[in-house]
Amino acid sequence: MKVSKERMPRIPKRPIWTGSLTIGLVNVPVKLHAMTFDKGVSFRFLHKTDGQPLKYQRVCIREDKVVPWEETVKGYEVTKDQFIIFTKEELRAARPESDQRIRIDKFVDYLSVDPVFFERSYVLTPDGNSEPYALLMSTLQRLGKAGVGRITLRTKEYPVLVYAYKDALIVTTLRYAYEVADPSGLEELKQLPEPKKEELDLAIRIITDLSGEFRIEEYKDNYKEKIEQLMEKKLKGEIIVAEKPVKEEAKELMVALQETLKQLKQK
Amino acid sequence: MTEGLTRVKFTNLDKILYPELKITKAQIVEYYIKLAPKILSLLTDRPAVLNRFPDGVDKLGFYEKDAPLGTPSWVKVFKRYSETAERELAYILCNDLDTLVWLANLAALEIHVTLSQAESFESPDLVLIDIDPEPPAGFDDAIDAALLLKEKLDALSLHSYVKTSGMKGLHVVIPVSEGYAFRQTREFAHHIGQQLAKESEIIVSEFSKSRDPGTVFIDYLQNAHGRTMICPYSLRANPKATVSAPLDWRDAEKGLKPEDFTLFTVTKSEKNPWKKLLDDKQQLEVR
Repeated sequence: MKVSKERMPRIPKRPIWTGSLTIGLVNVPVKLHAMTFDKGVSFRFLHKTDGQPLKYQRVCIREDKVVPWEETVKGYEVTKDQFIIFTKEELRAARPESDQRIRIDKFVDYLSVDPVFFERSYVLTPDGNSEPYALLMSTLQRLGKAGVGRITLRTKEYPVLVYAYKDALIVTTLRYAYEVADPSGLEELKQLPEPKKEELDLAIRIITDLSGEFRIEEYKDNYKEKIEQLMEKKLKGEIIVAEKPVKEEAKELMVALQETLKQLKQK
Repeated sequence: MTEGLTRVKFTNLDKILYPELKITKAQIVEYYIKLAPKILSLLTDRPAVLNRFPDGVDKLGFYEKDAPLGTPSWVKVFKRYSETAERELAYILCNDLDTLVWLANLAALEIHVTLSQAESFESPDLVLIDIDPEPPAGFDDAIDAALLLKEKLDALSLHSYVKTSGMKGLHVVIPVSEGYAFRQTREFAHHIGQQLAKESEIIVSEFSKSRDPGTVFIDYLQNAHGRTMICPYSLRANPKATVSAPLDWRDAEKGLKPEDFTLFTVTKSEKNPWKKLLDDKQQLEVR
């Protein structure tokens, strides 16, 4: 047995959606694949006494009895403990129909869309003829533009951004305006002081000094790594020893440091 | 009581970085702290290239020229456009104990330095002659070649300094005064190599012959802009935790082995054979 290790996720071959990108009368046949994956550590709950996995059940609050799926409906909570009931049929009928299209309404500068609206990204691949796909991708690349439009995925219609990334067309679903709060209403932000010129100059210098390329590979989930190391040890049957607090570990180093500092001072 | 001794925040000190000898990061940090009085003068103002092994020497390491993200603001850097990297790099200048300790904590086991100082980056203050034996030639043959080289340099009234590379060869260094170009120090080193090659059966002076079995290559090619040498007293990333150890010429004799100088042995020696290196700037006769 091995603990699965960090590696680049692969794009699944199977598309989750097939359709076309439409820009006015032009159609670009495409397939949509998942490309972002949550790689956090996940655990299951077990019964402490016998180590067996636990399962979830729907229990009626009044009867305190398990309710089978067939007896369930969905309710929208209007006010506390007051529900409007929807049957599965009603909900199915109200579902936006997926017309298998990503409709592009207009093009904007790729960098003008604020990241606060980004939700989830998918990669598009050509479905059949790849010429229109290549043409659109190259054009967006050259102009630095992104298409803004709509897609219906499963039961929800999303605003989307379509743009080029690493020689591929990407669809990123966006949040609606009403799903993102406006910070300008915050009391604490209303009376920000005007920075002094010299402070501003200094801050600009510091930030310029620290400026660099954006490299996402430099970041990693330390908690996840630690858990994975522990897992590997556990799989080998080793006993886990809680790590010593840094201070105690570093004691010997402090003695050495003191000695060296003394020597350096004498120079 | 420990606060205030260093600005470095230690991490994962328990981690084993030399699995064969079970050497932990704490031991590596301690090694560099103890050697700091000898190392720092040689590191000061010299752009450093790190060879980092965060997962230990049996796993892949990586070279790092550019100060990594998260470099503390108190670490001095030297910014320069690199043609190989095609962008501006911020080289680390390891000018104080804290920086050295910080590097050790980054698992920068190997610290390589340029042969010139940041302020006069284009002008070397050290000439490096790298003596590199190709099996079946071994360390004894490298010693022989180094002694022959020393004779040559003595005849030119040049003081030279020798150290083990920590791998299989030896490094001979000649400190020079300001104003030389790398082209000149390179030609000088090459010229000396060519003379030695004439006098010895096994010494070769040209790169094309350097991989011929049983030869000792007098490598002059590191004498170039931006090239580096393993810093004296730097650890090497091999299973035995060897060190690139400065030697007294009088101790450079057959029978010596690179493995005689390790994290464990070097700390025990009081000697500092390269102490005068940087005060010993000399003129080269160059064309």
